[in-house]
Amino acid sequence: MPDWKKLVQRRMTAPKLGDGLKEEVTAELAAHMEEIYEEARAKGLRPKAAMRVALQEVESWSDLSRDIGITRSTEDAMTHRTKTLWLPLIAILFVIGLALVLLDRAPALQQLIWTACMALLFCTAASEAANLNERTQRLWLPGFASMTAASLFFFGASMVSDPSRFTTELGLRPQSLRLESGPGLTFYISWVTAHILFGAVGAYMSRRAGGTRTARVLAGMFPVLAMFLICGIVIPISAFARHNLFVERHPMTLVFGMMIWAGIPGIALLAGAAPFLKEEQAAEAIAP
Amino acid sequence: MTKRIRSKIARGSADLAILSLLEEQPLYGFEIARQISERTGGALKFTLASLYPLLYEMEKRGWVQARWQANAAGRDRRYYRLTATGRRQLAPLRQEWRSFFQALDDLSGVSHA
Repeated sequence: MPDWKKLVQRRMTAPKLGDGLKEEVTAELAAHMEEIYEEARAKGLRPKAAMRVALQEVESWSDLSRDIGITRSTEDAMTHRTKTLWLPLIAILFVIGLALVLLDRAPALQQLIWTACMALLFCTAASEAANLNERTQRLWLPGFASMTAASLFFFGASMVSDPSRFTTELGLRPQSLRLESGPGLTFYISWVTAHILFGAVGAYMSRRAGGTRTARVLAGMFPVLAMFLICGIVIPISAFARHNLFVERHPMTLVFGMMIWAGIPGIALLAGAAPFLKEEQAAEAIAP
Repeated sequence: MTKRIRSKIARGSADLAILSLLEEQPLYGFEIARQISERTGGALKFTLASLYPLLYEMEKRGWVQARWQANAAGRDRRYYRLTATGRRQLAPLRQEWRSFFQALDDLSGVSHA
């Protein structure tokens, strides 16, 4: 019995397909050829003739590879459910969350929505893992894993540290946390420290998927990108739109907030990611 | 009508053939090709090379969903199942082809030939 998988593998050259997807396509086509072969054998054909029958199914492997590369391109291979249910749901949640941040309403709900968005995005991406292209597997998925972990930690730690403040004050407004207070400082330090782990998670997942050093750094730094977005864009817009006199008179507050909520956690993330950047350096050193 | 039809019409009718078949039950690629060939007396025949790009395209459009499961012989096969979206495609497709054959019939009396 010919090894159909090997045979298909050798002939299929669909560069657009990621490794996982290519393997699945190969398995499916090989199974099909195997059945044709067995059917031909059952009709009394000799092995060689049966093999010819199976091979006749494909006139041009390069054409087939191209066609399959187009139709199963990992760039647009999301399942129907993801496209019609999960992504619209995440988008709606995101818009609601953003509106709440800009209007400075329902702080606890802001947190909840943000965390739910992250968790949903990560679960959706993880469920689509087999269909994802390499960039998504090496950058976006690890990045969202890191960001989801950071969001969940922030959400959980906020609730634990001071549930009453959490529901009344603490929204996606980082500057509202009083660092001079004992609980606030404890929360901040534990939050920053945890970022070492989140950075490591992102970088490790990226490395495992074969990500480059840049991809590993970016995947590890993902949570800080969200904080940068909030501190650098959302909060300033919100503050100036609402004519926040304090911010207008002390714009350096925003810079300080950015440093506290994006700069320092960024350093922690990078520290966590660092051990997972080394392997490539070694590989590069060995490479001619 | 036992001669194999090798034409763009046959190619164009592929969506209808596959979706109609999957409307009855989930099937995997080889079974789809085999049943189409058998049930059309060989008039419609899909090779591996013509079938899978179509199936993958349908999957991409959300007309069918695929998942691996064991067939009757206990071998893992990728079964295709018609989705609600795919089902909604069937009615207009059928109508389109009915109109097409009606038009041909009106023109040349094909169905009475």
